[in-house]
Amino acid sequence: MTVKQSRRPDDAPAPSVLTPELRAQAEAIAAKYPNSRSALLPLLFLVQSVEGYVTDEGMREVAEILDLEPAQVLSSGSFYTMLKKRPQGEYLVSVCRNISCTHMGARKVVRALEEHLGIEAGATTQDGRFSLEAAECLATCDGAPSMQVNYEDFYKVTPDEAVAIVEKLGRGEVVLSVRGEPVKTSKEISHETATAGLRRPVTEMGYMPTMGGETPKQGTGPGMRPKVPGKGQES
Amino acid sequence: MAATETRIVTQRLREFPQDSWTLKRYLDSDGYRAARQVVTEVTPDETIALAKDSGLRGRGGAGFPTGLKWSFVPKDVFPKYVVINHDEGEPGTFKDRELAEMDPHQLIEGITIAAWANQASKAFIYCRGEFALGSRRMDAAIAEAYERGFLGKGIFGSKFDLDIILHRGAGAYICGEESALLDSLEGYRGQPRLRPPFPAVKGLYGQPTVINNTETVSTLPHIVNNGVDWFKKIGTEKSPGTKMMSVSGHVNAPANYEVPLGTSLADILELAGGMRDGRPVKAIIPGGASAPLLTDTNIPMDFEALKEAGTMLGSGAIVFMDDTTCMVRNALVTAEFFAHESCGKCTPCREGTWWKVRILERLEHGEGRQEDMDLLLDICNGMDGRSFCPLGDASAWAVRSNVKLFREEFQAHVDAGRCPFDDEHEQLVGARAGGVGLGEAGIGDQPAAGIWPDADGGA
Repeated sequence: MTVKQSRRPDDAPAPSVLTPELRAQAEAIAAKYPNSRSALLPLLFLVQSVEGYVTDEGMREVAEILDLEPAQVLSSGSFYTMLKKRPQGEYLVSVCRNISCTHMGARKVVRALEEHLGIEAGATTQDGRFSLEAAECLATCDGAPSMQVNYEDFYKVTPDEAVAIVEKLGRGEVVLSVRGEPVKTSKEISHETATAGLRRPVTEMGYMPTMGGETPKQGTGPGMRPKVPGKGQES
Repeated sequence: MAATETRIVTQRLREFPQDSWTLKRYLDSDGYRAARQVVTEVTPDETIALAKDSGLRGRGGAGFPTGLKWSFVPKDVFPKYVVINHDEGEPGTFKDRELAEMDPHQLIEGITIAAWANQASKAFIYCRGEFALGSRRMDAAIAEAYERGFLGKGIFGSKFDLDIILHRGAGAYICGEESALLDSLEGYRGQPRLRPPFPAVKGLYGQPTVINNTETVSTLPHIVNNGVDWFKKIGTEKSPGTKMMSVSGHVNAPANYEVPLGTSLADILELAGGMRDGRPVKAIIPGGASAPLLTDTNIPMDFEALKEAGTMLGSGAIVFMDDTTCMVRNALVTAEFFAHESCGKCTPCREGTWWKVRILERLEHGEGRQEDMDLLLDICNGMDGRSFCPLGDASAWAVRSNVKLFREEFQAHVDAGRCPFDDEHEQLVGARAGGVGLGEAGIGDQPAAGIWPDADGGA
């Protein structure tokens, strides 16, 4: 049995993407779950709320908090479209390109936004204000063609309306979604996503015995797989 | 007789759209009575029997009997978990979203009943990442329920503890597949697990886990309040109750309509205000993008009748398409969706979805070849039944039915060397979902998603 060494040299500074306050939130998020690994996605959102995207440093810090290897964090994080690996705009404009929306004219909306922003769908403007994506079904088919800006909804948008919304945001004005929710910046919405379910006091979170008075056995590990030893653990 | 809705789960949100999501409104309309009664007066076994007797079937897509699913959970293994599949992503579906945004307390009450029946003291809501408003409302509702003692330690003054943990996804359709959802909830890539063991025996963290859909559990309080006999009088013998139908496409009034199972598709079209501009129906997706197409509205919408017609009710997402619709484009958009969402775990799905997009893309661009239709069918046959999870199968069903039902339209694209409908495809630059996973929306040089630089060297 050998003790696994961290790949980070001892004299290297510990990664510190998260402020002490966010670090405390990260601990609270991890405490929500019977197994802290479940906090992996929320913590990556937390990193995204600071850096605007998921940085290597951020992934290392998440690995350290959750006692995982950075590669394990990358493996999971790279699977999900809402976690961005490259700098993205302050406002992410997602136009649904799925069945109902395409049949109701979504391609024209995408085209108009591409022309207005001077970028292709899938890219970010040079000033870092807007990202544009042709998204998969946003579950607002009754509002086809539908669009989200940082995950707030806009229904039945015409090409002109879509451009007008982007122009308004560009001027720094407050824009309300069809449901009356103000559009947040991508960092703000990332933070909200990370901390979903933390509304009630943290003291109530965490371990609570079940009827049988048992929690999952430590050896069981997550799911059906043996736990991969993390830093400082015996392998 | 004009078609009408039978509103059960959507009753409150239709009647009080201004505040249906608040605790006050919920309590004013008898809210939490069912959960209180079940937890304080009914045994877990009786609750499972209630679900079984009601004949309630899962509303997420598979239509599996809910009570039967619960009965598979071993009685003597603890802890157990209830997980709510709120990762609604099947193209055309928008029912769970509305339920969570407009009536989150109904969902919480349903979860309480499911948790009591299965003696699970922790329940998780796996909420789709893109659902910002729904998450906000559920978060607030959960906090309110804790304050009132409806959640937490000793709920409703009983000895039963229940925690509900709201968890957000991060953008992956595959996580709607229940075993992939569990992997995602555990912090892994959302890839499906080999079954057996089934989640009821070994699910979340290797413990017995019940996974139910949002609409399914939202129905539970009404069954408790009104009784099994009331519920069984609605709908058909084998598919009792109502179903929310998400109607979209070329109709005048796209929306969710709650109707008894077995209501005819024609009636649902009437509810949705008929086809826009009075145009004829060309094709109908009866149960989400995964379901093979129909061309006739003269069919009852229930699990059995649609299965007999070679398609499925799925999640109840109905997309009506009129005669201006290009079916090659429809097939392409569908294929692109599955290619984007394929998790990459198994070869037939990973490769098959990708190749179908390439072939359909050249067909829509007028560069299709005579053999392409057969090639598509061949790829579909290579995927159907050979994929690891239903995503690959569904992708095959969807594209196959487009090719089979509208083959002459595919042929017309090949013959004319262009799309006979319009030139929308020529305006496309990056209007594709593009690459999978991390990496979209970066600054600087990027692959032009949607334009295949080596298209000529392909297939």
